[in-house]
Amino acid sequence: MQPLGLYRPGSSVLHRAGAGVKLISLFVLALAASVPPPSIWLLGGLSVLVVTLYLLAGLGFRELARQILMIRWLILLVTVTGLLFLPLDVALANVTRMTLVIVLAGLVTLTTRTSALLDAFEVALSPLRFAGINPQRISLVLALSIRTVPVIAGFAQQLRDAQRSRGGRVSIRAFVVPLLVLSLRHSDDLADALIARGAD
Amino acid sequence: MSTREIVLNGVSVDYGNRLALENVSTRLDAHRIAVIGANGSGKSTFARLLNGLEAPTSGSLSVHGLDPVRQGKQLRRHVGFVFTNPDAQIVMPTVAEDVAFSLRGRGLSKSEIAGRVASVLAQNGLGDHADAPAHTLSGGQKQLLALCSVLVGEPDLLVADEPTTLLDAANTRRIADLFSALEQQIVLVTHNLRLAERCDIALRFDGGRLVEQGDPVDVVGRYEREFA
Ligand SMILES: Nc1ncnc2c1ncn2[C@@H]1O[C@H](COP(=O)(O)OP(=O)(O)O)[C@@H](O)[C@H]1O
Ligand SMILES: [Mg+2]
Repeated sequence: MQPLGLYRPGSSVLHRAGAGVKLISLFVLALAASVPPPSIWLLGGLSVLVVTLYLLAGLGFRELARQILMIRWLILLVTVTGLLFLPLDVALANVTRMTLVIVLAGLVTLTTRTSALLDAFEVALSPLRFAGINPQRISLVLALSIRTVPVIAGFAQQLRDAQRSRGGRVSIRAFVVPLLVLSLRHSDDLADALIARGAD
Repeated sequence: MSTREIVLNGVSVDYGNRLALENVSTRLDAHRIAVIGANGSGKSTFARLLNGLEAPTSGSLSVHGLDPVRQGKQLRRHVGFVFTNPDAQIVMPTVAEDVAFSLRGRGLSKSEIAGRVASVLAQNGLGDHADAPAHTLSGGQKQLLALCSVLVGEPDLLVADEPTTLLDAANTRRIADLFSALEQQIVLVTHNLRLAERCDIALRFDGGRLVEQGDPVDVVGRYEREFA
C-alpha cells in the first residue's frame, strides 16, 4: 500500500532519463490521453506505447498487470458509474484514459528515485520563491508524507493485532483513539528528529 | 571544536509540575560516557539538553565549547543523536536517501554525497539495501540505518538515548560493537548494564539528580545491589 517510494533499481533508458523529463512527458501524455476526443487510434496507440515503455524499463507485463490490479476498485467504480450515465463507448474511453494515466504515473515512480522526483519538484516550484514559498520545505513535506504512510499503517496493524489477540471484537473507537495517540506521538518524535538532524 | 568537554553548572529542567533534572553539575571529557538510572530519573532530559532539544530552566551548560541553547544550530552539526525508536528518525522513504538527507546544505557535490552514503552503508552492512524502502527493514536494520544517517555527518559527539531497547540480543551486540569502534565521544543512555560497563565512565540519575559518577563497574555494581 504505497504509491510512491516504490523505486525499482535498474539501468534502462527510463531509469537514466532525468526526473524532470519524465514528469514533463507524463504531463504531455496525460494531456494527449484526456484532451482530444477519444478515438480507437489515439487510445490504442497510447496503450501500445505504455506497454512498450514498461517493457523498455525492464518491468515487464507482470508489473504492468500488478499496477492495473492495484487500481481495480477504482476501475470498477468508474466503469459502473460510466455505464449508468454515459454511452458505452464514452464510458469505456474514460476508463481507458484514466487507467493509462495512472499506469504511466506508476511507471515514473517505478523508475525514478523519490529524491530525484523531489528535486524535480523543487526546480518546478522554484518560481514560487518570489511568493515567499520555500520549495525545499514543500519537497521535505512530500518526502515525510511518503515515509509516514507505512509507519502509520504499521501502527494500525499493531492495534488490530493487539485487539485480535485479546479476543475482542474490533471496535472502531478502540481503534481510532489509540491510532490517533500513536500518530501524534510519532509526529512529536519526528519533529525532534528533524531538529536533531538539522532540518530546522 | 578542539575540546571534547561537556560542562553542566547547576542545571535544572522544570516541566511545570515536576523537576525532570535538579541542580545537575558535572564536567565530562571521557570518551565513552554511560548514563543509567530508573525510568523517569531524568536520563532522556539530560541527553536532550546536549543538543539543545531541551533547554535548562536554570543553570548553564556548554557542549564542546558551544551553548546548546544559543548556538543550537551550529552545535547540532557536531552532535549526532540516536533515538530509541528508529522509525521516528528515518525521514526519507528509502535507505540511501535517508542517509543523504543528513548531508543536505553542506555544499557537497552529488557524487561526493553518493560516495559518502555508499561507504557508510557498506561499512555497516546495509550496502545491499541502499535502494530499499525504509519500512521494509527489520528493527535492527532500521536502527543501523539511523546510526548510518548520523555517522555520515561525521559528528564529534554521539548521543544515544536507549538505542538498543527495541533490539534483540544479536542486534544489540552489533550496535554495541559499532559504538566500541567509534573514535567520537559518546553519551550512551542505556538500561543494558553490560553495555554501560563497557564505557569509560558512568553517570547514575535518580529522581532528577545526578547521584553518582565514576568507574562504570562500580557505579553499575552499586546500582544492581540496590535491587538485589
Ligand atoms: N515533555 C515533558 N513534559 C512533562 N514532563 C516530562 C516531559 N518529559 C519528561 N517529563 C518528566 O520528567 C521526568 C524525567 O523524564 P526523562 O528524562 O524522560 O526520564 P528517563 O529518560 O530517565 O526515563 C519524568 O518524571 C517525566 O515524566
Ligand atoms: Mg528516557
